[in-house]
Amino acid sequence: MDFGYTEEEEKFREKLSQFLDKELTEEIARQNWEDLGVGAEAREFSRKLAAYGFLGMSWPKEYGGHGFPPTYDFILLDELGKRWGAHVPLDVGYTMVGPTILRRGGEALKKEFLPRIINGEIEFCLGYTEPNAGSDLASMKMRAVDAGDHFVINGQKTFNTECHYSEYHWLAARTDADPDIPKYKGVSLFVVDMDSPGITIRPLWTMSGERTNEVYYEDVKVPKSRMVGEKNKGFYYMMEALGSERNQVFVPGRLVPILEDLIKYVKETEVDGKPLSNDPLIRDKLAQAAIELEVAGVLADHSRWLESNELPMPYQPEITKVFTSELDQRLVNTGMEILGLYSQLTEDSKWAPLRGRISWYFLHSFMTTIGAGTSEVGRSVIAQRGLSLPRAY
Amino acid sequence: MDFHFTEEQKILQKTARDFLQSECPSSFVLEMEADEKGYTPDLWNKMAELGWMALIIPEEYEGVGGNLLDLVVMLEEMGRFCLPGPFFSTVLGCLGIMAAGTEEQLKNFLPKVGRGELIMSLALAEPGNRKYDPFLVAVEAGAKNNDFMINGTKLFVPDAHVADYLVCAARTSGRPGAREGITLFMVDSKTSGIRLTPMKTLAGDKQFEVDFQGVAVPGDHLLGPLNQGGVILEQVLQKGAVCKCAEMLGGAQKVLEMATGYAKEREQFGRPIGSFQAVQHHCSNMLMDIEGSRYITYKVAWMLEQGISCAKQVSAAKAWTSEAYKRVVGLGHQILGATGYIIEHDMPLYSRRAKIAELALGDAGFHREQVARELGL
Repeated sequence: MDFGYTEEEEKFREKLSQFLDKELTEEIARQNWEDLGVGAEAREFSRKLAAYGFLGMSWPKEYGGHGFPPTYDFILLDELGKRWGAHVPLDVGYTMVGPTILRRGGEALKKEFLPRIINGEIEFCLGYTEPNAGSDLASMKMRAVDAGDHFVINGQKTFNTECHYSEYHWLAARTDADPDIPKYKGVSLFVVDMDSPGITIRPLWTMSGERTNEVYYEDVKVPKSRMVGEKNKGFYYMMEALGSERNQVFVPGRLVPILEDLIKYVKETEVDGKPLSNDPLIRDKLAQAAIELEVAGVLADHSRWLESNELPMPYQPEITKVFTSELDQRLVNTGMEILGLYSQLTEDSKWAPLRGRISWYFLHSFMTTIGAGTSEVGRSVIAQRGLSLPRAY
Repeated sequence: MDFHFTEEQKILQKTARDFLQSECPSSFVLEMEADEKGYTPDLWNKMAELGWMALIIPEEYEGVGGNLLDLVVMLEEMGRFCLPGPFFSTVLGCLGIMAAGTEEQLKNFLPKVGRGELIMSLALAEPGNRKYDPFLVAVEAGAKNNDFMINGTKLFVPDAHVADYLVCAARTSGRPGAREGITLFMVDSKTSGIRLTPMKTLAGDKQFEVDFQGVAVPGDHLLGPLNQGGVILEQVLQKGAVCKCAEMLGGAQKVLEMATGYAKEREQFGRPIGSFQAVQHHCSNMLMDIEGSRYITYKVAWMLEQGISCAKQVSAAKAWTSEAYKRVVGLGHQILGATGYIIEHDMPLYSRRAKIAELALGDAGFHREQVARELGL
């Protein structure tokens, strides 16, 4: 066993750290962390990341990548996370769409999209969830009808974040509506230009201030060349990508700055002339958070290692996801308890501690165990794939 | 990174599992709980023949020359089968000798330990020490000519009744709680003035109150320098904690297997209970707890072996694994229902041992405080 990084990997981390310390501003990190959208600065930052060679480390050389193992991409995510950067700025393209196009897309799609993703030029938004297809995603109804050289798509998606600033919709739609086949066998994936006629986007504002969207399709024409891989295989493609997506989206290192802020706060804040850090209850809670962060770290390391070595990972990324997302909530609740009365203050209040980040994160944390699959679905997946327990539905 | 076991470790794991499967059934474990000795020389000798006691002893002292990860692999299997007897306590003593022994001590003791001829234990905890704090040592060793005289009471000393030597931590200067001023002694258990009283525990393991009444220890039986035992204890207890984690991990894995096996077979309302989401989620919670325990244990063993400073991670591992095992046996009982509550069932073996292991070498609360200190709090 070996839990360390190679000399080359550490050199990459060092180089990257220097770059990020200089280029990753608070504003960019914040747009990214709080899903506020990707502004001009973040786009510029994304292009710089690419120009300095930090994007596409694990992608094949023929499409503009560097041909290294995924470990390098994980190092990038960890280093961003430590600096309040939740993910690479244009992350849907980079962590979800790109890998699936690589695996399943035809040569034309690869040539058209991969280099632009690696160069940090374009972003995609996920088009999976529908009003009646959440946890039971395969029951989606958005319909794509074959019309010769193109498909005509009608229907509604919801909770499609990032659609209002992305160039492309990574859309799952039904291409076979035969009621006698299993629902997951009739779904295909498409790359749709967001400015196609017939697409309407309506904002949905979340309780923590992020924007997500409802997206309506009315007779939207999508060329056949924009279908990904084979017809009716879309759901398989979505599922096979899930493990890798979880590995890249649920990054324990992202919780490091929160814990560090809290540690600093309890050392600097005095009550009755004694620092809060002397309080045994607070010591115990912060230590527990730090312990859980260590555990999340090894769980993630294990899933990432499986991925980097192309080993099967039927349930391990799901464990990372469930554990890390629930740790998110426990950590922020610890933070709220430590801040006490002041925890209710928002950023713009004079007395708000830690720039209001904990109170914002508190609101945000309700999403972590819901987004990208609920903890309940996750636990069923773990039980069925990890322990071979029988399905009841 | 690499999460693979080496080929040798895979062989070790398989050998240990096959051997213990046939030699250490749960009926034997229960029998040993009632037995005064708590182990059989027959099994002990067979283990010695397999080279288990020599596993971590360097080759120059007639050992196998394995590392801490090898030991972790072995202890996981011992935890899986609830192996009774003084293996773990001997490891603790052996780690002490390996950490601080003089060349002569290494030569004298290690080959014998490796051959299974010498059983050891660690006498550390005392009345008034509720958390296994290694520095709360009040038992005194006074210098007398070239010898030392130990006086006082040690508690929770595992397998003291069969140990040939006790590594005893005694205070030679300073006050209880101070890291400095502790000295480790190799005490021959047959020295006059030592009195043992069994401490009956929930798991039926063998722990003792050891009273030292003017126990004379020759000056050349110090383990490490005078007054510097605290540093050695830290090293021994870090490795010991990881070893305890490995043992817990093996037990927890077995509980998960029992529970999921039962959930697949047991039918109610016309279907296996393992198809119900409430039961599935219990099982996945167990698996999550175990995977976390597994990789943090392996990681810390690796860090210690590499000589990377890891006091925080060691304590994180012990705190996490102690509580994880506790949760795992709780859920195991819940899934097994009334069946698992019966004394003949294997489940109580594990839930009783989970508690003992949780308390050994510092419980979760103790180790969280260590983590808090490492965080600079």
